[in-house]
Amino acid sequence: MIIKLERLKIQSRRSEEAINITALVEEAIAQSGVQNGLVHVMTTHTSSGLVVTEGIPCLEQDILTHLARLFPESENYHHRRYLDYDGRLGFNADAHLKSVVGGISCSFPIENGKMVRGSRQTIYFMEYDGPLERTCLIQILGE
Amino acid sequence: MIDFHTHPVLIRELVAQDPSFERAAREVFYIGNNFQPLETFLLQMDVAGIERAVLLPVACRRARQVDVGTNEQIVELCAKSPRLIGFASVDPGVKTAPADLERAIRTLHLEGLKLDPALQDFDSGGPEAWAVYEAAEALKIPVLLHTGLSWAPGSALERGHPLRLESAIRRYARLNFVLAHFAWPWVWEAVALAMKYPNVFLDTSCLYYDSPKEFFEFVFTRQIPITLVERTLANQIVFGSNYPRVEIKNMVRALRALPLTEGCLNKILRENAERLLARGHEAAMSHRHDY
Repeated sequence: MIIKLERLKIQSRRSEEAINITALVEEAIAQSGVQNGLVHVMTTHTSSGLVVTEGIPCLEQDILTHLARLFPESENYHHRRYLDYDGRLGFNADAHLKSVVGGISCSFPIENGKMVRGSRQTIYFMEYDGPLERTCLIQILGE
Repeated sequence: MIDFHTHPVLIRELVAQDPSFERAAREVFYIGNNFQPLETFLLQMDVAGIERAVLLPVACRRARQVDVGTNEQIVELCAKSPRLIGFASVDPGVKTAPADLERAIRTLHLEGLKLDPALQDFDSGGPEAWAVYEAAEALKIPVLLHTGLSWAPGSALERGHPLRLESAIRRYARLNFVLAHFAWPWVWEAVALAMKYPNVFLDTSCLYYDSPKEFFEFVFTRQIPITLVERTLANQIVFGSNYPRVEIKNMVRALRALPLTEGCLNKILRENAERLLARGHEAAMSHRHDY
């Protein structure tokens, strides 16, 4: 049984952004040597997310647009206060809620050293409060 | 656009080079966010539409056992990007402070002075600070002081009261004082100083609760009337975000949401800062011809 954990650094460049990381996950699988098993990907942040959808720009835009419609920045959030444990103001509740609803992780099987996914399935790192350097975990388990 | 108030406290390159910087960020400046590469800082400026930003260190080793960024570190960061404007900090509580400031400006080519009476634990209106103000006046640089509430643990609120500065403002009439954070909650006191003394400027980096938009709406339309900003103080306010306590983009958006004319916004976001940075009291005072 092989268990490998990779910490992937992602530099987002905009406030909100969908970043295709499918190739990076595939590369991590190839380098792990695992032939059959499972890959689990998750963001370590609560104002970003991971989603799987068809890899086309119109859908990237739709996801961001409609999450923004669900959680407008102007909404009256309890999070808008000084967070004494953090030394900062918490006014990015909209980003946190997008992360909650959009999800923070995904998993795919690995077969014969390749990630098994639908032909249109694409893994996106979702930035909801950038630009920031973010960390994504890729854990690969198998043999 | 120019952001007149940013801190280098989360820049990873500084931690990599100086391990004590992490303690300065976490325990003295008191911020818990992840360290980020300088690239993130510049990208944060990009998304906010900010072209240049003033980087502020705090020389608080005497009071806090560690500096929150040194002048040399600021110089190194500024060397990595022409978009960064480095200010110096010296400790008014040590006798070498005037000479330290002269070296920082003449040798290191920093462009202004940052003081934080709360973090540095000195009386901003007392004689110990006068020698530093005198040196700054001679060097023709602006001095930006933390005024208003300080979140720094162990700091006294009274250190940030803007009226403590009045005697210095009067004594050093050719030195431009920038009162950070609009001196919140002592906003009217800060405004009165700016109305009475042409060498007083205020920066917008005030945010203590709610969202930037809500807080700006409260301070600039209810705590004081917006007409005071537009008609009386437009030449004496500079935009400051206080990044990374708050993202620059949110503060720019909050400012732009206020019912101010484009002309006034342009002064706050650019022109007033340019005048302050133009090295000299006369340059900063040139707005007086507007009247």
